[in-house]
Order: sequence, then structure tokens, then C-alpha cells
Amino acid sequence: MRYLQDRIFSFLICAFTALSFVSLLFVIYFIVREAMPLFSEVSPGEFIFGDRWMPIGYTGEPSFGIFNFIAATAAVSFLAIIIALFISIGAASFLCLCTGEGTREGIYSVIDLLAGIPSVVYGFIGIVVLLRIFFRVGVHTGSCVLAASILLSIMLLPVLISSCCESMLRARDEYLLPIKALGVSEWYGLATVIIPASWKNILLAVIPAVGRAMGETMAVMMVIGNANLFPSLLGKSETIPAVIALEMGTAVSGSTHYHALYGAGLVLMVMLFVINTAISILRRRLSRI
Amino acid sequence: MRHLSKLVKLWAFLGIGITLGTVAFIFLFIFYEGASVISPSFILESPSGAILGTEGGIFPAIIGSLFFTGTAVAMSAPAAVAAAAYITFFCKNDRMKVVLHSVINTISGIPSIVLGLFAYSFLVKSLGLGRCILSSGTALAVMILPFIEIRAEKAFGELSEEMIRSSDALGCSRTYMFLKIALPSCKRELISAVILGGCYAMGATPPLIFTGAVAYASVPESIFEPAMALPMHLYLLVAQGATSMDTAYGTAFVMLALILILTIIARALGGFRK
Repeated sequence: MRYLQDRIFSFLICAFTALSFVSLLFVIYFIVREAMPLFSEVSPGEFIFGDRWMPIGYTGEPSFGIFNFIAATAAVSFLAIIIALFISIGAASFLCLCTGEGTREGIYSVIDLLAGIPSVVYGFIGIVVLLRIFFRVGVHTGSCVLAASILLSIMLLPVLISSCCESMLRARDEYLLPIKALGVSEWYGLATVIIPASWKNILLAVIPAVGRAMGETMAVMMVIGNANLFPSLLGKSETIPAVIALEMGTAVSGSTHYHALYGAGLVLMVMLFVINTAISILRRRLSRI
Repeated sequence: MRHLSKLVKLWAFLGIGITLGTVAFIFLFIFYEGASVISPSFILESPSGAILGTEGGIFPAIIGSLFFTGTAVAMSAPAAVAAAAYITFFCKNDRMKVVLHSVINTISGIPSIVLGLFAYSFLVKSLGLGRCILSSGTALAVMILPFIEIRAEKAFGELSEEMIRSSDALGCSRTYMFLKIALPSCKRELISAVILGGCYAMGATPPLIFTGAVAYASVPESIFEPAMALPMHLYLLVAQGATSMDTAYGTAFVMLALILILTIIARALGGFRK
């Protein structure tokens, strides 16, 4: 009896675990299935490298090119990560040298609150605070790539600070005593030994943040201005998730426009997949050395 | 040398200052601006006004959000905990573990808007469910699956190896061990993981936009109808512009308060970060 129960339970566990596989397969299958009809009308090269996005042909032929969206997605994420890294390394240095275990945990749980804030709330604050500042400074309507990057960088802080701090703490434990023994100030030691020593680990820790940044929809969409332009620091632009979220409601189901939006989603997924795979290979290489 | 250490010190204080300042600013700003809008009628009434949302309350959105979150958690938690249990206790094949981990990593890397596309194509169109709570709930469930799984696996991983070995040595089956030892001793961490997953689902907008959240609906009665959701409502209020800014602050207030309370409960249950 007991034996039978065990078998049934193990089977149930396996079945539920299989759900993870199934959901991944389903997501891939449905996105690819809906994206495929696009490529019979628009060639992949034209889709990825074209910069004209005219889903409905009011004037002339409709055309589907998402190059500007891809560039904007990459630019916003890249800038956001640079800003977030700058703040995170500073904050992590503080946590490394100025706090004990208890205070550090306290500050961590305060910072973690940032991770819990929904992205629409970030977008909302971006509109009522950040965009007003940019508008005063003289940016037309205030919406710009830089505003989106700043907002996104705040959203990335919790992940980046904890991973930066983790690798810097490891370096600190190893080198702080020798640094002190040489009579050098802690901060000088931090700048010349601890940060350079943990640099590699910090860079590897950045990668999960790239996915989060590239896939972020609401916060970015609300402050970037949503115009099909090549991204420039203070100019408007539009990211792939923003295009999908804004246009999915108006695309006729089954039209080329509809398939093109799935195509854009597929491109986004492939970009993230390539980045993640490249990094996990790199990480294995680096950890072996 | 002195300059460099001063510079780094400045950088460190700047970094932590910006970070903690931002946290304080966001919460104080929303709570300060939103407090004047909050009243019993704001929480318990439906939205109204010539332009929807300028007057009235957000009651259907609160209940709608609870429906979306509840559906997502109910679908996701068993699968996530089972996957974590399988990886830690039941799986004997190392290669299988690697595969499962990479599947879960891949899922966590899928942008939430793509999950919205998936739910639209699969549930709304192919299964013919139409825009409803179940369609959105499925997208949210896939989104929080890795989130809960990672935390559950961490909780199971912290069980002492000795305890598991002892139960094996006594001839207990892994099922018995899981039900009698692992589950009871990780109960608090698991509940905390599920609540945090719920918070994550409650705040997400992209999977809902075209799969089940609508601008106006009454309080939902089943999971087969569309409903309002707090994040979607906030987005629409902000998109409408200046006329509905007050209610937008109120909505943001309610959302942050809900999430803050749930996070504190989850933290208290799971013990503060180890």
C-alpha cells in the first residue's frame, strides 16, 4: 500500500515538473507559429534591418522594418546598465567597508523594496517627476531615451547591488588584512585591489540584468516617447516591448501587422537567448581558469 | 593616493545615498501624494465620471487584481514547488538537473510582454477562451514559475544533508521524507516564496494588456470573464493625462501599500534574508 502511494506521489511530482518543460515549449511554439507567416511576405533581412515601420499603408506600401526598435532596446538597456553599475559599485563599496553584517542585512532589505515596486509605478513616477525635470531643462515634451535609461537603472539596482557586493565581499575577505598590514588606507585598497579583483565577477553578474532590462515594457514605454526614430540620448525612440504593447490592441488578428508584432517578439526572445547562452559559455570558461 | 581614496569614498557615499534616497523618495512621494485621495469610498466604489476614473473608486480593480494573482499563484505554485522538490530530492540523474535548471532559467528570461503574446495566441485565440482572467492568469503563472521555483529550491537546499541521509538510512522512501520532513520544515519559506511570487504577479501589466484586463468591468464573478486590474487601471489613468492624476496617485498608493504589506508578511515568515 505504502509502496503504491510512493509511486503515485513520485509520479505526480514528475508530472508537475514536466509542466515547466511544457510551458516553455508552448511559449516557443506559439510565438514561432504566429511569427512564421510574416516571413513569407517580408524577408527576415528586410524585417530586421529595415527602418521603415508602416503597418498600415496610408501613403504607399505598408512596410515592416524593426531596426530602430532593436537599436532602441539595445541602447536603453546598455545605458541603464552603465548607470546602474556606477551606482551599484559605489553602494557596494559602502556596504563592504562601512557596515557590519547586521546593518548590511538591514540595508539589503530596504533596497529589496525597490524590486517589489511594480513597473507601472516606476513609469508613473517617471512621468510626474523625471519628465518634468527633462522638460524644464529644455527637452521637447521631456520624453527621451535618457529618461527611460535612468528609470530602468533604478529598477536594476537591487539585483546589481547584491551581486556586486557579494563578489566584492569575497575579495575584501581575501585582501583586507594584507592591505591593512601594508599601512595603506582601506579606501585606497578598495580602489586599487578589491574592485579590480572582483571586476570579472561583477561583469558576469550583470548578465541577468540585461534580460530584465531588454524585456522591460511599462516603465520604458511610458517615458521614451514612442516614436520610430534611431535612438539618441535626448531624442524620442521606441523599444520592441513598447511596440508590441501599444500596437497589439489595434492589429487585426491574422493580418501581416499582427504577425509582424509576433515577429518582433520572436526577435526579442532570440536576442535574449543568444546573450544568455554566450554568457553561460563564457562563465564556464572563466570559472575553469 | 589621498585623492584617489577620497574619490572612492565620495563614490561610495554617493552610491548608497542615491540608492537609499530613491527608495525613500518613491515611497514617501506616492504615500504623501496619494494619502489625500484615499478614503473608504475610493476603495469601495466603482470608477465613474465623464472621463472614466476621474471620480469614484477602484474597488473592481482591487478585486480583479486579486483574481488575476490568485489564478496565477494557484496554477504556478504546485508546478514550481514540484520542480524544486524533484531537483533536490527525487532526481538521481545529474544531466537531468542541468537540463531542468536551464529550462527554468530560459523561462525566467522570457520577457513578460512575450508571455502576453503567447497567452493571446494560445488561450484567447486557439482555445477560444477570449479575453478573460484565466488567459491572463496563465501568462502570469508562467512568469512567476521560475521566481517561486528558485526560492523553493533554495529553501529545500538549506535542509541539512544529514537529516536526508538519516531518513534514507532508516529505509524511509523519499516521498515519506519529503512529506514528513522537507515540507513541514520548509513550510514558512515556501509560503513566503508564494506570497512574493503573488506580489510580482500583482504588479505586472504586460501579460494582461491584451489578454484579459479591460478599462472597465464590474467585479468579476468567475475566471472566464475579463476584469479590471490595478496596474492596468493605473496605466490608463496616467495615459488619460492631467484630469485623472489624483485617482492615479490613489491607485498607486493602494498598489504600493498592498505590495508592501504582503512583502513584510512574506519576510516575517521566511525570516529576514540569510
